[in-house]
Amino acid sequence: MSIIEPKSEPVRQACLAAVHREAKASPRRSAKSLSRRFLRFRCALLLTALLASTQFQLPLYAQSQSQPTQDADQSDNDKPVPIFTGSAGYITDFTGGSPDLHPIASGILLIPIGDRWLIESRASFEDDMVQQPGRSGFHGPVEKEVDYAQVDFIANPYLTVTVGRFLTPFGIYNERLYPVWIRNLQSDPLILPIGIGPSNASTGAMFRGGFSASQSVTINYAVYFSALSNLTPVDSERTAGGRAGVFFPKLRLELGGSFQHRLQDERSNLFGAHVIWQPNSLPLDIRAEVARSREGSGYWIEPAYRLSQLPFLRDEMRRTQIVARVQQFWVGPLANDALQPVNTQVFEAGVNYYFMDGLKGSFNYGRQFSSQGNVNVWTMAATYRFVLPFERTRNQ
Amino acid sequence: MNKRRILVAMCALSLGSAVFAAAQEIKEPPKSVAVAQEQQPTAVANAPEAETPSQPPAANAKPSARSIEAAERIEGEKRFRTNCGRCHQAPHKFPPRVMATAIRHMRVRAMITDEDQRLILRYMTQ
Repeated sequence: MSIIEPKSEPVRQACLAAVHREAKASPRRSAKSLSRRFLRFRCALLLTALLASTQFQLPLYAQSQSQPTQDADQSDNDKPVPIFTGSAGYITDFTGGSPDLHPIASGILLIPIGDRWLIESRASFEDDMVQQPGRSGFHGPVEKEVDYAQVDFIANPYLTVTVGRFLTPFGIYNERLYPVWIRNLQSDPLILPIGIGPSNASTGAMFRGGFSASQSVTINYAVYFSALSNLTPVDSERTAGGRAGVFFPKLRLELGGSFQHRLQDERSNLFGAHVIWQPNSLPLDIRAEVARSREGSGYWIEPAYRLSQLPFLRDEMRRTQIVARVQQFWVGPLANDALQPVNTQVFEAGVNYYFMDGLKGSFNYGRQFSSQGNVNVWTMAATYRFVLPFERTRNQ
Repeated sequence: MNKRRILVAMCALSLGSAVFAAAQEIKEPPKSVAVAQEQQPTAVANAPEAETPSQPPAANAKPSARSIEAAERIEGEKRFRTNCGRCHQAPHKFPPRVMATAIRHMRVRAMITDEDQRLILRYMTQ
Protein backbone atom coordinates (compact mmCIF):
# COMPACT_ATOMS: atom_id res chain seq x y z
CA MET A 1 0.00 0.00 0.00
CA SER A 2 1.32 3.42 -0.85
CA ILE A 3 1.94 5.80 2.01
CA ILE A 4 -0.58 8.63 1.99
CA GLU A 5 -0.07 11.57 4.28
CA PRO A 6 -3.38 12.20 6.08
CA LYS A 7 -4.32 15.80 5.34
CA SER A 8 -7.87 15.88 6.68
CA GLU A 9 -10.12 13.86 8.98
CA PRO A 10 -12.00 11.90 6.24
CA VAL A 11 -8.70 11.06 4.51
CA ARG A 12 -7.20 9.95 7.84
CA GLN A 13 -10.24 7.76 8.55
CA ALA A 14 -9.98 6.24 5.08
CA CYS A 15 -6.28 5.54 5.64
CA LEU A 16 -6.93 3.88 8.99
CA ALA A 17 -9.72 1.76 7.49
CA ALA A 18 -7.39 0.67 4.69
CA VAL A 19 -4.67 -0.20 7.20
CA HIS A 20 -7.15 -2.26 9.29
CA ARG A 21 -8.34 -4.07 6.17
CA GLU A 22 -4.78 -4.87 5.27
CA ALA A 23 -4.05 -5.96 8.85
CA LYS A 24 -6.79 -8.54 8.58
CA ALA A 25 -5.49 -9.77 5.24
CA SER A 26 -1.79 -9.86 6.08
CA PRO A 27 -1.01 -9.12 9.73
CA ARG A 28 2.79 -9.41 9.42
CA ARG A 29 3.17 -7.12 6.38
CA SER A 30 0.76 -4.66 7.91
CA ALA A 31 2.70 -4.51 11.15
CA LYS A 32 5.84 -3.69 9.19
CA SER A 33 4.02 -1.08 7.14
CA LEU A 34 2.55 0.51 10.26
CA SER A 35 5.91 0.51 11.98
CA ARG A 36 7.49 2.18 8.94
CA ARG A 37 4.73 4.75 8.80
CA PHE A 38 5.01 5.59 12.48
CA LEU A 39 8.78 5.86 12.17
CA ARG A 40 8.42 8.26 9.23
CA PHE A 41 5.78 10.22 11.10
CA ARG A 42 8.02 10.46 14.16
CA CYS A 43 11.00 11.52 12.03
CA ALA A 44 8.90 14.20 10.36
CA LEU A 45 7.66 15.39 13.75
CA LEU A 46 11.17 15.59 15.19
CA LEU A 47 12.56 17.36 12.14
CA THR A 48 9.69 19.82 12.28
CA ALA A 49 10.42 20.44 15.97
CA LEU A 50 14.10 20.95 15.17
CA LEU A 51 13.35 23.39 12.39
CA ALA A 52 10.86 25.16 14.64
CA SER A 53 13.55 25.56 17.26
CA THR A 54 15.81 26.99 14.56
CA GLN A 55 13.12 29.47 13.60
CA PHE A 56 12.54 30.29 17.27
CA GLN A 57 16.15 31.31 17.60
CA LEU A 58 16.33 33.26 14.37
CA PRO A 59 15.19 36.52 15.96
CA LEU A 60 18.02 36.21 18.50
CA TYR A 61 20.47 35.59 15.67
CA ALA A 62 19.09 38.48 13.67
CA GLN A 63 19.43 40.66 16.75
CA SER A 64 23.06 39.71 17.19
CA GLN A 65 23.64 40.26 13.47
CA SER A 66 22.24 43.75 13.65
CA GLN A 67 24.74 44.91 16.27
CA PRO A 68 26.87 47.77 14.96
CA THR A 69 30.11 45.83 15.48
CA GLN A 70 28.79 42.99 13.38
CA ASP A 71 27.78 45.41 10.68
CA ALA A 72 31.27 46.79 10.68
CA ASP A 73 32.67 43.26 10.36
CA GLN A 74 30.48 42.60 7.38
CA SER A 75 31.57 45.68 5.47
CA ASP A 76 32.66 45.24 1.86
CA ASN A 77 36.30 44.91 2.86
CA ASP A 78 35.54 42.02 5.19
CA LYS A 79 33.16 40.05 3.00
CA PRO A 80 34.43 36.50 2.67
CA VAL A 81 35.92 35.44 -0.65
CA PRO A 82 36.35 31.92 -2.06
CA ILE A 83 39.78 30.59 -1.20
CA PHE A 84 41.92 27.62 -2.06
CA THR A 85 44.06 26.47 0.81
CA GLY A 86 45.81 23.29 1.71
CA SER A 87 49.03 21.65 2.65
CA ALA A 88 51.82 19.61 1.18
CA GLY A 89 54.38 17.42 2.84
CA TYR A 90 57.19 15.03 2.16
CA ILE A 91 57.52 12.38 4.81
CA THR A 92 60.28 9.79 4.91
CA ASP A 93 60.29 6.99 7.42
CA PHE A 94 62.48 4.00 8.11
CA THR A 95 60.47 1.25 9.78
CA GLY A 96 62.74 -1.57 10.90
CA GLY A 97 65.38 -0.30 8.48
CA SER A 98 63.26 -0.29 5.32
CA PRO A 99 62.74 3.17 3.80
CA ASP A 100 59.30 4.48 2.85
CA LEU A 101 58.80 7.75 0.94
CA HIS A 102 55.48 9.40 1.44
CA PRO A 103 54.69 12.59 -0.49
CA ILE A 104 51.23 14.03 0.25
CA ALA A 105 49.29 17.04 -1.00
CA SER A 106 45.82 18.06 -0.04
CA GLY A 107 43.81 21.02 -1.24
CA ILE A 108 40.81 22.61 0.42
CA LEU A 109 38.30 24.66 -1.51
CA LEU A 110 36.16 27.05 0.54
CA ILE A 111 33.27 28.88 -1.12
CA PRO A 112 31.25 31.12 1.19
CA ILE A 113 27.79 32.09 -0.03
CA GLY A 114 25.94 34.92 1.66
CA ASP A 115 26.22 35.23 5.42
CA ARG A 116 25.34 31.70 6.37
CA TRP A 117 26.42 29.21 3.76
CA LEU A 118 29.74 27.55 3.14
CA ILE A 119 30.68 24.94 0.59
CA GLU A 120 33.89 23.17 1.51
CA SER A 121 35.80 20.29 0.06
CA ARG A 122 39.16 18.64 0.60
CA ALA A 123 40.88 16.20 -1.70
CA SER A 124 44.10 14.36 -0.88
CA PHE A 125 46.69 12.85 -3.13
CA GLU A 126 49.29 10.69 -1.49
CA ASP A 127 51.82 8.13 -2.49
CA ASP A 128 53.43 5.40 -0.46
CA MET A 129 56.64 4.57 -2.28
CA VAL A 130 58.80 1.62 -1.28
CA GLN A 131 61.71 -0.26 -2.83
CA GLN A 132 60.50 -3.25 -4.80
CA PRO A 133 62.65 -6.32 -5.46
CA GLY A 134 64.09 -6.42 -8.97
CA ARG A 135 63.34 -2.74 -9.65
CA SER A 136 65.44 0.32 -9.05
CA GLY A 137 64.13 3.31 -7.18
CA PHE A 138 60.92 3.67 -5.17
CA HIS A 139 57.47 2.80 -6.48
CA GLY A 140 53.92 2.88 -5.25
CA PRO A 141 50.43 3.76 -6.42
CA VAL A 142 49.02 7.26 -5.93
CA GLU A 143 45.98 7.23 -3.67
CA LYS A 144 43.27 9.80 -4.36
CA GLU A 145 40.57 10.58 -1.84
CA VAL A 146 37.78 13.09 -1.42
CA ASP A 147 38.14 13.63 2.30
CA TYR A 148 35.06 15.80 2.50
CA ALA A 149 32.68 17.66 0.22
CA GLN A 150 30.01 19.30 2.29
CA VAL A 151 27.53 22.13 2.39
CA ASP A 152 27.24 23.95 5.71
CA PHE A 153 24.31 26.10 6.73
CA ILE A 154 24.78 28.23 9.84
CA ALA A 155 21.17 28.10 11.02
CA ASN A 156 21.71 30.10 14.20
CA PRO A 157 24.49 30.76 16.74
CA TYR A 158 24.03 27.30 18.20
CA LEU A 159 23.38 25.09 15.22
CA THR A 160 25.11 24.41 11.93
CA VAL A 161 23.59 21.89 9.55
CA THR A 162 26.01 19.98 7.35
CA VAL A 163 25.01 17.81 4.42
CA GLY A 164 27.24 15.75 2.14
CA ARG A 165 30.45 13.92 2.80
CA PHE A 166 32.10 14.99 6.04
CA LEU A 167 34.95 13.88 8.29
CA THR A 168 33.50 11.56 10.91
CA PRO A 169 33.51 13.38 14.25
CA PHE A 170 34.73 10.47 16.36
CA GLY A 171 37.53 11.56 18.68
CA ILE A 172 39.62 14.60 17.84
CA TYR A 173 42.40 13.37 15.59
CA ASN A 174 40.49 12.75 12.38
CA GLU A 175 38.63 16.02 12.30
CA ARG A 176 40.99 18.46 13.94
CA LEU A 177 44.57 17.18 13.90
CA TYR A 178 44.90 15.10 10.72
CA PRO A 179 46.45 17.62 8.24
CA VAL A 180 50.23 17.25 8.01
CA TRP A 181 50.89 20.88 8.91
CA ILE A 182 48.84 20.58 12.11
CA ARG A 183 49.91 17.23 13.56
CA ASN A 184 52.84 17.26 15.97
CA LEU A 185 54.06 13.78 15.00
CA GLN A 186 53.73 12.62 11.42
CA SER A 187 52.72 9.05 12.20
CA ASP A 188 49.03 8.27 12.76
CA PRO A 189 47.89 7.08 16.19
CA LEU A 190 47.20 3.33 16.26
CA ILE A 191 43.55 3.88 17.22
CA LEU A 192 42.86 6.42 14.45
CA PRO A 193 40.89 3.96 12.23
CA ILE A 194 38.42 3.25 15.07
CA GLY A 195 35.08 4.91 14.41
CA ILE A 196 36.00 7.02 11.38
CA GLY A 197 34.85 4.72 8.59
CA PRO A 198 36.65 3.16 5.63
CA SER A 199 38.03 6.43 4.22
CA ASN A 200 37.90 8.65 7.31
CA ALA A 201 34.56 10.13 6.29
CA SER A 202 30.81 9.68 6.43
CA THR A 203 28.12 10.50 3.90
CA GLY A 204 24.89 11.95 5.21
CA ALA A 205 23.83 14.78 7.47
CA MET A 206 25.21 16.30 10.62
CA PHE A 207 24.06 18.83 13.19
CA ARG A 208 26.83 20.60 15.07
CA GLY A 209 27.66 23.74 16.93
CA GLY A 210 29.38 25.45 19.80
CA PHE A 211 27.99 27.86 22.35
CA SER A 212 28.88 29.42 25.69
CA ALA A 213 26.93 27.80 28.52
CA SER A 214 28.36 30.39 30.94
CA GLN A 215 31.30 32.80 31.13
CA SER A 216 33.68 29.94 31.88
CA VAL A 217 32.19 26.96 30.03
CA THR A 218 31.81 26.40 26.31
CA ILE A 219 30.02 23.38 24.92
CA ASN A 220 30.49 21.89 21.47
CA TYR A 221 28.55 19.03 19.95
CA ALA A 222 28.09 17.10 16.71
CA VAL A 223 25.48 14.46 15.91
CA TYR A 224 25.34 12.71 12.57
CA PHE A 225 23.87 9.99 10.45
CA SER A 226 25.86 8.35 7.69
CA ALA A 227 24.55 6.23 4.84
CA LEU A 228 26.28 3.24 3.29
CA SER A 229 28.31 4.03 0.18
CA ASN A 230 30.45 1.51 -1.69
CA LEU A 231 31.51 4.00 -4.33
CA THR A 232 35.30 4.47 -4.23
CA PRO A 233 36.78 6.99 -3.31
CA VAL A 234 33.70 8.22 -1.44
CA ASP A 235 32.88 5.05 0.46
CA SER A 236 31.33 5.18 3.90
CA GLU A 237 29.53 3.03 6.45
CA ARG A 238 25.96 3.19 7.71
CA THR A 239 26.35 4.66 11.17
CA ALA A 240 24.88 7.15 13.58
CA GLY A 241 26.69 8.85 16.39
CA GLY A 242 27.86 11.99 18.02
CA ARG A 243 30.55 13.79 19.91
CA ALA A 244 30.29 16.35 22.68
CA GLY A 245 32.95 18.41 24.37
CA VAL A 246 33.11 20.81 27.29
CA PHE A 247 35.76 23.53 27.06
CA PHE A 248 36.88 25.61 30.03
CA PRO A 249 38.53 28.69 28.45
CA LYS A 250 40.09 29.94 31.71
CA LEU A 251 41.78 26.59 32.34
CA ARG A 252 42.27 25.99 28.60
CA LEU A 253 41.00 22.47 29.14
CA GLU A 254 38.67 20.51 26.91
CA LEU A 255 37.06 17.21 27.88
CA GLY A 256 34.89 15.28 25.49
CA GLY A 257 33.38 12.00 24.50
CA SER A 258 32.29 10.26 21.29
CA PHE A 259 29.76 7.57 20.56
CA GLN A 260 28.91 5.68 17.41
CA HIS A 261 26.46 2.93 16.62
CA ARG A 262 27.01 0.88 13.48
CA LEU A 263 23.81 0.26 11.57
CA GLN A 264 25.28 -2.56 9.52
CA ASP A 265 27.21 -5.83 9.94
CA GLU A 266 27.67 -6.60 13.63
CA ARG A 267 25.78 -3.43 14.73
CA SER A 268 28.25 -2.71 17.49
CA ASN A 269 28.75 0.37 19.64
CA LEU A 270 31.98 2.37 19.70
CA PHE A 271 33.08 4.74 22.45
CA GLY A 272 35.76 7.39 22.67
CA ALA A 273 37.00 10.12 24.99
CA HIS A 274 39.47 12.96 24.55
CA VAL A 275 41.32 15.61 26.55
CA ILE A 276 43.15 18.72 25.38
CA TRP A 277 44.93 20.84 27.97
CA GLN A 278 47.18 23.85 27.49
CA PRO A 279 48.27 25.15 30.89
CA ASN A 280 48.30 28.92 31.16
CA SER A 281 51.70 29.05 32.80
CA LEU A 282 53.63 26.86 30.34
CA PRO A 283 53.89 26.60 26.52
CA LEU A 284 52.78 22.99 26.92
CA ASP A 285 50.14 21.25 24.86
CA ILE A 286 48.79 17.93 26.11
CA ARG A 287 46.41 15.86 24.01
CA ALA A 288 45.06 12.42 24.75
CA GLU A 289 42.46 10.12 23.32
CA VAL A 290 40.91 6.76 24.22
CA ALA A 291 38.81 4.58 21.91
CA ARG A 292 36.99 1.33 22.53
CA SER A 293 35.36 -0.93 19.98
CA ARG A 294 34.90 -4.62 19.23
CA GLU A 295 37.67 -4.34 16.63
CA GLY A 296 40.19 -3.07 19.11
CA SER A 297 40.80 -0.56 21.85
CA GLY A 298 43.58 1.74 22.83
CA TYR A 299 44.81 5.16 23.84
CA TRP A 300 47.45 7.75 23.04
CA ILE A 301 48.89 10.62 25.07
CA GLU A 302 50.88 13.35 23.36
CA PRO A 303 52.59 16.19 25.22
CA ALA A 304 54.32 18.91 23.16
CA TYR A 305 56.47 21.63 24.69
CA ARG A 306 57.64 24.85 23.03
CA LEU A 307 61.11 25.88 24.16
CA SER A 308 60.25 29.59 24.16
CA GLN A 309 60.96 29.91 27.89
CA LEU A 310 64.62 28.95 27.58
CA PRO A 311 66.93 31.94 28.22
CA PHE A 312 69.38 31.30 25.35
CA LEU A 313 69.04 31.37 21.51
CA ARG A 314 65.62 32.86 22.01
CA ASP A 315 64.70 33.18 18.34
CA GLU A 316 65.60 29.56 17.60
CA MET A 317 64.07 28.22 20.79
CA ARG A 318 60.70 29.86 20.28
CA ARG A 319 60.52 28.08 16.90
CA THR A 320 61.41 24.71 18.40
CA GLN A 321 58.97 22.23 19.89
CA ILE A 322 59.73 18.89 21.49
CA VAL A 323 57.05 16.21 21.26
CA ALA A 324 56.46 12.76 22.66
CA ARG A 325 53.67 10.23 22.26
CA VAL A 326 52.90 7.06 24.15
CA GLN A 327 50.26 4.75 22.74
CA GLN A 328 48.93 1.29 23.23
CA PHE A 329 46.53 -0.85 21.24
CA TRP A 330 44.71 -4.06 22.12
CA VAL A 331 43.19 -6.24 19.42
CA GLY A 332 39.44 -6.92 19.64
CA PRO A 333 37.40 -10.01 18.69
CA LEU A 334 36.45 -8.58 15.26
CA ALA A 335 38.97 -8.09 12.46
CA ASN A 336 39.77 -4.75 10.84
CA ASP A 337 42.49 -4.49 8.20
CA ALA A 338 43.17 -0.85 9.04
CA LEU A 339 44.14 -1.71 12.62
CA GLN A 340 47.20 -3.52 13.96
CA PRO A 341 46.81 -7.34 13.83
CA VAL A 342 48.40 -7.83 17.29
CA ASN A 343 48.63 -5.98 20.57
CA THR A 344 51.08 -3.12 20.05
CA GLN A 345 52.80 -0.43 22.07
CA VAL A 346 54.62 2.53 20.56
CA PHE A 347 56.73 5.26 22.11
CA GLU A 348 57.78 8.22 19.95
CA ALA A 349 59.73 11.40 20.61
CA GLY A 350 60.74 14.14 18.23
CA VAL A 351 61.47 17.75 17.42
CA ASN A 352 59.54 20.22 15.26
CA TYR A 353 61.12 23.40 13.96
CA TYR A 354 58.87 26.15 12.57
CA PHE A 355 60.91 27.97 9.91
CA MET A 356 58.06 30.41 9.26
CA ASP A 357 54.26 30.48 9.45
CA GLY A 358 53.17 27.34 7.63
CA LEU A 359 56.57 25.77 6.98
CA LYS A 360 57.71 23.13 9.43
CA GLY A 361 60.49 20.56 9.64
CA SER A 362 60.12 17.45 11.81
CA PHE A 363 62.35 14.68 13.00
CA ASN A 364 61.35 11.90 15.33
CA TYR A 365 62.28 8.50 16.61
CA GLY A 366 59.93 5.77 17.74
CA ARG A 367 60.13 2.25 19.10
CA GLN A 368 57.33 -0.19 18.38
CA PHE A 369 56.80 -3.22 20.62
CA SER A 370 54.62 -6.12 19.51
CA SER A 371 54.58 -9.90 19.35
CA GLN A 372 55.55 -9.62 15.67
CA GLY A 373 58.88 -8.12 16.70
CA ASN A 374 60.18 -4.86 18.07
CA VAL A 375 61.26 -2.27 15.50
CA ASN A 376 62.70 1.23 15.40
CA VAL A 377 60.86 3.87 13.39
CA TRP A 378 62.73 6.99 12.23
CA THR A 379 60.73 9.76 10.57
CA MET A 380 61.75 12.97 8.83
CA ALA A 381 59.28 15.39 7.29
CA ALA A 382 58.88 18.82 5.78
CA THR A 383 55.36 20.26 5.65
CA TYR A 384 53.95 23.43 4.19
CA ARG A 385 50.56 25.16 4.41
CA PHE A 386 49.34 27.65 1.78
CA VAL A 387 46.36 29.97 1.20
CA LEU A 388 45.32 31.37 -2.19
CA PRO A 389 42.35 33.73 -2.46
CA PHE A 390 40.29 33.61 -5.68
CA GLU A 391 39.48 37.32 -5.60
CA ARG A 392 41.56 40.38 -5.11
CA THR A 393 41.85 41.24 -1.43
CA ARG A 394 42.90 44.39 0.30
CA ASN A 395 46.35 43.79 1.80
CA GLN A 396 47.01 45.06 5.25
CA MET B 1 14.08 -0.30 17.34
CA ASN B 2 17.69 0.83 17.79
CA LYS B 3 17.48 3.08 14.75
CA ARG B 4 14.47 4.84 16.20
CA ARG B 5 16.14 5.27 19.56
CA ILE B 6 19.26 6.73 17.98
CA LEU B 7 17.27 9.07 15.79
CA VAL B 8 15.19 10.23 18.73
CA ALA B 9 18.33 10.68 20.85
CA MET B 10 20.08 12.67 18.10
CA CYS B 11 17.18 15.01 17.58
CA ALA B 12 16.52 15.35 21.31
CA LEU B 13 20.19 16.20 21.91
CA SER B 14 20.19 18.87 19.20
CA LEU B 15 16.90 20.30 20.36
CA GLY B 16 17.84 20.22 24.03
CA SER B 17 21.20 21.90 23.52
CA ALA B 18 19.67 24.58 21.30
CA VAL B 19 16.89 25.33 23.81
CA PHE B 20 19.36 25.31 26.71
CA ALA B 21 21.67 27.69 24.87
CA ALA B 22 18.79 29.97 23.95
CA ALA B 23 17.70 30.06 27.59
CA GLN B 24 21.24 30.95 28.64
CA GLU B 25 21.36 33.70 26.01
CA ILE B 26 18.16 35.24 27.33
CA LYS B 27 19.39 35.09 30.96
CA GLU B 28 22.85 36.60 30.37
CA PRO B 29 23.62 39.88 28.61
CA PRO B 30 25.90 39.61 25.55
CA LYS B 31 29.56 39.40 26.48
CA SER B 32 30.52 42.48 24.50
CA VAL B 33 28.06 44.50 26.59
CA ALA B 34 29.45 42.94 29.76
CA VAL B 35 32.99 43.78 28.68
CA ALA B 36 31.94 47.32 27.87
CA GLN B 37 30.24 47.63 31.26
CA GLU B 38 33.35 46.33 32.98
CA GLN B 39 35.64 48.61 31.02
CA GLN B 40 33.63 51.81 31.35
CA PRO B 41 34.30 52.54 35.04
CA THR B 42 37.98 51.69 34.60
CA ALA B 43 38.27 54.10 31.67
CA VAL B 44 36.61 56.84 33.66
CA ALA B 45 38.80 56.13 36.67
CA ASN B 46 41.94 56.26 34.55
CA ALA B 47 41.00 59.52 32.81
CA PRO B 48 42.72 62.73 33.98
CA GLU B 49 40.79 64.47 36.77
CA ALA B 50 40.52 67.77 34.91
CA GLU B 51 38.80 66.18 31.90
CA THR B 52 36.14 64.17 33.72
CA PRO B 53 33.93 66.89 35.22
CA SER B 54 34.42 69.63 32.61
CA GLN B 55 34.08 67.61 29.38
CA PRO B 56 30.71 67.59 27.63
CA PRO B 57 28.89 64.19 27.31
CA ALA B 58 29.98 63.73 23.67
CA ALA B 59 33.63 63.98 24.63
CA ASN B 60 33.10 61.45 27.43
CA ALA B 61 31.52 59.02 24.99
CA LYS B 62 34.58 59.00 22.71
CA PRO B 63 37.11 57.48 25.13
CA SER B 64 34.58 54.89 26.30
CA ALA B 65 33.99 53.76 22.71
CA ARG B 66 37.74 53.56 22.26
CA SER B 67 38.07 51.56 25.45
CA ILE B 68 35.35 49.19 24.26
CA GLU B 69 37.25 48.68 21.03
CA ALA B 70 40.49 48.10 22.95
CA ALA B 71 38.74 45.67 25.27
CA GLU B 72 37.28 43.79 22.32
CA ARG B 73 40.70 43.59 20.70
CA ILE B 74 42.24 42.19 23.89
CA GLU B 75 39.37 39.74 24.24
CA GLY B 76 39.73 38.79 20.56
CA GLU B 77 43.44 38.09 20.97
CA LYS B 78 42.73 36.01 24.06
CA ARG B 79 40.11 33.96 22.27
CA PHE B 80 42.32 33.62 19.22
CA ARG B 81 45.11 32.11 21.33
CA THR B 82 42.73 29.94 23.34
CA ASN B 83 40.69 28.56 20.42
CA CYS B 84 43.09 28.44 17.48
CA GLY B 85 46.05 27.34 19.60
CA ARG B 86 44.09 24.36 20.88
CA CYS B 87 44.75 22.47 17.65
CA HIS B 88 47.40 24.23 15.60
CA GLN B 89 50.12 26.80 15.45
CA ALA B 90 48.48 30.23 15.53
CA PRO B 91 48.64 31.58 11.95
CA HIS B 92 49.79 35.03 10.94
CA LYS B 93 47.19 37.55 9.88
CA PHE B 94 45.70 37.22 6.42
CA PRO B 95 43.86 39.89 4.42
CA PRO B 96 40.41 40.57 5.96
CA ARG B 97 38.34 38.87 3.24
CA VAL B 98 40.49 35.73 3.36
CA MET B 99 40.30 35.74 7.14
CA ALA B 100 36.50 36.03 6.99
CA THR B 101 36.33 32.81 4.96
CA ALA B 102 38.90 31.01 7.11
CA ILE B 103 37.10 31.90 10.32
CA ARG B 104 33.78 30.69 8.92
CA HIS B 105 35.49 27.42 7.99
CA MET B 106 36.91 27.16 11.50
CA ARG B 107 33.55 27.92 13.04
CA VAL B 108 32.21 24.79 11.38
CA ARG B 109 35.33 22.66 11.79
CA ALA B 110 36.38 23.62 15.32
CA MET B 111 32.86 24.48 16.51
CA ILE B 112 33.88 27.84 17.94
CA THR B 113 31.05 29.99 19.21
CA ASP B 114 29.39 32.87 17.41
CA GLU B 115 30.94 35.31 19.87
CA ASP B 116 34.41 33.78 19.42
CA GLN B 117 34.05 34.03 15.65
CA ARG B 118 33.13 37.69 15.83
CA LEU B 119 35.89 38.68 18.26
CA ILE B 120 38.62 36.63 16.55
CA LEU B 121 37.65 38.04 13.16
CA ARG B 122 37.75 41.54 14.60
CA TYR B 123 41.17 40.92 16.13
CA MET B 124 42.57 39.32 12.99
CA THR B 125 41.37 42.06 10.67
CA GLN B 126 42.34 45.07 12.79
